Amino acid sequence: MIFGILESFNESPLLLYLGVISIACIGGGIPPMIERRRRRSIENELPTFLEALSDSVGAGRGLQEAMMEQSESNDGLLASLLGETLKEAHASSFEASLSAFAAKTRSSQVQRVMMLIETAMQQDSSLREILSDLSRDYERLNDLMNQRETELSGRGMLIIIFVSVGLPVLIAFIVGLFAPASKGFQITSFNQTFSLFFAAASAVAVGVSGRMMGRLKDTLWWLPMWMTVSMGLYLGAVKAVGG
Amino acid sequence: MRALGEKQELLYVIRTMDVLMSSGVGLEAAIHTIGRGGYGIISEDFSQIMKRLQKGTGGGLDKELKTMMKKAESAGYKRLLNTLYTNVTQNTDLVETLKKQGTRMEEERSEAVEKYIEELGGVPETLLSIGMIGPIILSIVGLVPQLMSGDLGAFMSLPDSSVINSVVNMGLIVTLIGMALVGLKAHTKDPGL
Repeated sequence: MIFGILESFNESPLLLYLGVISIACIGGGIPPMIERRRRRSIENELPTFLEALSDSVGAGRGLQEAMMEQSESNDGLLASLLGETLKEAHASSFEASLSAFAAKTRSSQVQRVMMLIETAMQQDSSLREILSDLSRDYERLNDLMNQRETELSGRGMLIIIFVSVGLPVLIAFIVGLFAPASKGFQITSFNQTFSLFFAAASAVAVGVSGRMMGRLKDTLWWLPMWMTVSMGLYLGAVKAVGG
Repeated sequence: MRALGEKQELLYVIRTMDVLMSSGVGLEAAIHTIGRGGYGIISEDFSQIMKRLQKGTGGGLDKELKTMMKKAESAGYKRLLNTLYTNVTQNTDLVETLKKQGTRMEEERSEAVEKYIEELGGVPETLLSIGMIGPIILSIVGLVPQLMSGDLGAFMSLPDSSVINSVVNMGLIVTLIGMALVGLKAHTKDPGL
């Protein structure tokens, strides 16, 4: 059955090539999604964590002691990573542990915070105020990032669904109903033109959607899949409706 | 691209300079710290300033800052460089100004994100209008030679099918360009979070 379906698209080798490429690219597209989810969960925990650290330091605890306490009393990935790093750091300095922790999180927000904390420690600055300011800064930043994500992801998906799924199926129905190949209409070149257009339009839609959400590079992995879907849906629906 | 990079890093640079200078670090040392890396394009700029100062090829920090102001593209970065320049030439209260600039930058960023979300609200509708109406009309135009062949075609004096195909192809290309241009708004208006 699978070979039968594939053979029905023999006239469109580009669709078959794109199908193979898209399967390979899906493998590349999943890890950035998982990584992003992990990074954002760490970044969303950061403001609360910094606020708690600020309170502990204000109560007279040393930064290392405060970090250890917070990592033990809090749940979540950020606390567990910090606890793990501090426990592993037997023979290294506290600054080295902070750098190792920042690297483990793979988050630019955490790395910036740790860099600033290290600088503040070197300069003997008031950690309480700095931590409290950082907590406020990153809370606002994360609120903005989350707001952008929630408000624009729906619109981005809407563009992809309409351009890559809705439009090809709609036009395939028009073509299949008014000019069915089974009744002798010569629509091979017409179908090729339109299937190429749908592939290109899907690429534009995926690109725009990815840019709207601020993660174009991650979305590019899914580009061949959506191109294949739109081409396949169009050619498949034309065959199904018009024969 | 440069303006976007500047916008993305500026607030972090201001906060770091604030921390450093509140702790008594001098302006040159603060610029040197930022120039060591971690702040994208601004680190590159500051590193170039320090290299030229160390070589003695620059005409002093004030002139270097003035030169960098001409290179800067975003208003916020120009403002920061101007603040640093004023501090070097007139010994102003830099820490206080940095704090104010940080707060202002943060407010501007929040406003920019809200404006971006609001402006992009119309993008799906416009993009779908162009991307859907165009191909639907063009598909019907492309089918006309098939549907109106024979006597009906001769009666209607339809153009040659190759002309119709060219019109359809051109129309589809224009539709794609239109979609891309509408989508470009998502890139050019990015607030740089």
